Amino acid sequence: MTRENNLSAMKKGLLEFVVLKVVGTGQLYAADILGRLDGTEFATQEGTLYPLLSKLRREGFVHYEWQESSLGPPRKYYRLTPEGRGHLDTLDLYWKTIDRTLAELGR
Amino acid sequence: MQRVIHAGLNRNPYPIEEDAYARLETYLAESAAALADDPDRDEILLDLEQAVADQCRRRQPPQASVITLQELLPALEEIGPVRAPSADQVGSKENTDAPTRVSLQQISQGAWVSGVCLGLARHLRVEVTLLRVIAAALLFFTGGAALLLYGVLMLLMPLAPARKLPAKLREWTEALRGKLASVAR
Repeated sequence: MTRENNLSAMKKGLLEFVVLKVVGTGQLYAADILGRLDGTEFATQEGTLYPLLSKLRREGFVHYEWQESSLGPPRKYYRLTPEGRGHLDTLDLYWKTIDRTLAELGR
Repeated sequence: MQRVIHAGLNRNPYPIEEDAYARLETYLAESAAALADDPDRDEILLDLEQAVADQCRRRQPPQASVITLQELLPALEEIGPVRAPSADQVGSKENTDAPTRVSLQQISQGAWVSGVCLGLARHLRVEVTLLRVIAAALLFFTGGAALLLYGVLMLLMPLAPARKLPAKLREWTEALRGKLASVAR
């Protein structure tokens, strides 16, 4: 495995966490989420995002409601469920633990 | 001049040129295959159709209402290939660029005869020209007997949906299928 591959595996694993974090900021539809990630290390595409949102919805972490849109058909607006909020808190805490561990292990 | 088809994207009609339609059909078939194990496959496909419609509309010049390859290709580029989220994501190799397979169908858009070679090419993920050359060579070396093989494939391979091009040939094939079915009974 090349170095780039390692990094991309890490990013891929974090994508779910990142999407939960973004959805946690309010009611968003898919293009908002993509827009927020655009220009970051986690920039992604609809082809990846939709299946992921669907999975998070099945797991009960996000849910969506339809809202009218001025252009085109109604859109799905996503937000976190209470379970999703709890899961995000767990992940946040875990991330901080990892970060501390990494700092303690040295440079 | 291009023939224009109406594509139903997320249950709304969008006029689209024939070659763009064929490309979109392939994209959606690949997406469906990538989501084969996803319980929400149909819903995600509708989401993707809507994304395609939105992206194409955004790229259309004012006054234009028909989707062409010029809008579709960058739209599909931006939407990206469908990647199913895997249970164990870190380090998992599956889903990364695993080629997806389109089911074996005759594809009329861009077909020379009935779309057998085109369908086979998409299914096997090889260049259609390669298959056509092989088909032509077979035809030549078997003294025309390979025509029989083509005929059999033409009758057996299912038709891709929304076949439009060789209307005459299609009518004829459908009629022959009907006759075969009644003979078999």
